[in-house]
Amino acid sequence: MRAAGRRTPVLLALVSVALIVADTLTPLDPLRAFGSAVFGGLEDAASAGVRWAPGQHRVAELEAENARLRAELLAARRVTSSPAPADGYRAVPAHVVGFGRDGTVTVDAGSEAGVARDMTVFDGNGLVGRVLRSGPGTATVQLATASGASIGARLEGSREVGLVTGVPERGLLRLSLLNASAEVKPGDRVVTLGSRDMRPYVPDVPIGAVVAVEPAPDALTRTALVRPFARFTALGLVTVVLGPLPDKSGPDKSGPDKAKGA
Amino acid sequence: MKAVVLSLLVVLVAPVLQVAVVNGLALPGGGPDVVLVGVVALAPLLRPRAAGGGAGAFLGFAAGLAADIAPPADHTIGRLALVLCLAGWVCTRLTADATAGRRAAVAAAVALGATLAGGVLAALLDGTPWGTALAPGALAWTAGLAALVTGALALLPRRRSFGRVRGPRDRPRDPYAPGRRLA
Repeated sequence: MRAAGRRTPVLLALVSVALIVADTLTPLDPLRAFGSAVFGGLEDAASAGVRWAPGQHRVAELEAENARLRAELLAARRVTSSPAPADGYRAVPAHVVGFGRDGTVTVDAGSEAGVARDMTVFDGNGLVGRVLRSGPGTATVQLATASGASIGARLEGSREVGLVTGVPERGLLRLSLLNASAEVKPGDRVVTLGSRDMRPYVPDVPIGAVVAVEPAPDALTRTALVRPFARFTALGLVTVVLGPLPDKSGPDKSGPDKAKGA
Repeated sequence: MKAVVLSLLVVLVAPVLQVAVVNGLALPGGGPDVVLVGVVALAPLLRPRAAGGGAGAFLGFAAGLAADIAPPADHTIGRLALVLCLAGWVCTRLTADATAGRRAAVAAAVALGATLAGGVLAALLDGTPWGTALAPGALAWTAGLAALVTGALALLPRRRSFGRVRGPRDRPRDPYAPGRRLA
């Protein structure tokens, strides 16, 4: 009986270790998909129960319109040339329904709404992050402040290019400019650089404002601390960019030039 | 039967409560780990001989695995399962027939140890910065809440059993008590 009393715990501990090893070698995606199917639905239901109100349908309609308008605004903000088309974005609204401890949040829009990995997520204030993986009804979003996140960025005024990484313990971001002699001062706005095919990041989403310029010890890059515009501890309604508008993909080439001339 | 239902409730509800409610509150210092508190509080109520002596370990493993795969989690799968499996096992063994005060003390100690172990694993496996992995605020919240909930649960059934006829569940417990002392 004593031997039996120890066998189960030891066996379970060994299974845990095996899971850790297996997940380190090859990510256990089926298990995570199962988790997001089961617990994503529960989180969604819990959050929807909290938000429930008589006029819920009307609120949902307004939220969808809001997301569309915000995406249009984002497209209209772009005044200089960049590799991505500038005509507009398809977007879906989503609520943040769960906050993780790994610099991630759950949103209540998943692959059924067209959300897939490496899509940009932003809210009314600025960039939130990118989609890490999506389940049927929910998706996991990696915040810009997560320790593993790195975002191509540029200064809005001087168009200097750099990289933004997370400083998770202080809720700040660190901007490393490639040009070591670039001019940067507190108050400068930082926006996303934009990725190829607009994944994971669409261009010109506001990220934050420079709060302090760090003294450069090696002078290879210029670094500054950036306070993000988005309030990561109080996220509510966010917008997920699905991609460019499909019908206007033809006259892409002339779009940026027109914008520049205006 | 009641234990199975309660365990299932901890496994299914605690991870959801953690990510949907507790982490969203932005409590000072980080907030408690509700899944760990649930395991540590429920483990002493499980019969130490159930499920081949590993009822607490099984509860911890299931709850930990649930917390590992519940959506916003992006760490190595198995990390929390390992820590909570050991925590559940220790709690069931140490607090089998202890008083409420001793149970609360053991729960606080186990919660503290499990949070520290989980933090060390987080830093080693997932590159979490040490300052975040071993945040003193989260440690204090978790240990405090674990002691509180365990103490309250240990007092509750005792009070209720005063007004009740001794049920069939209390009888098989007695023969085990001497056996446990011998073992």
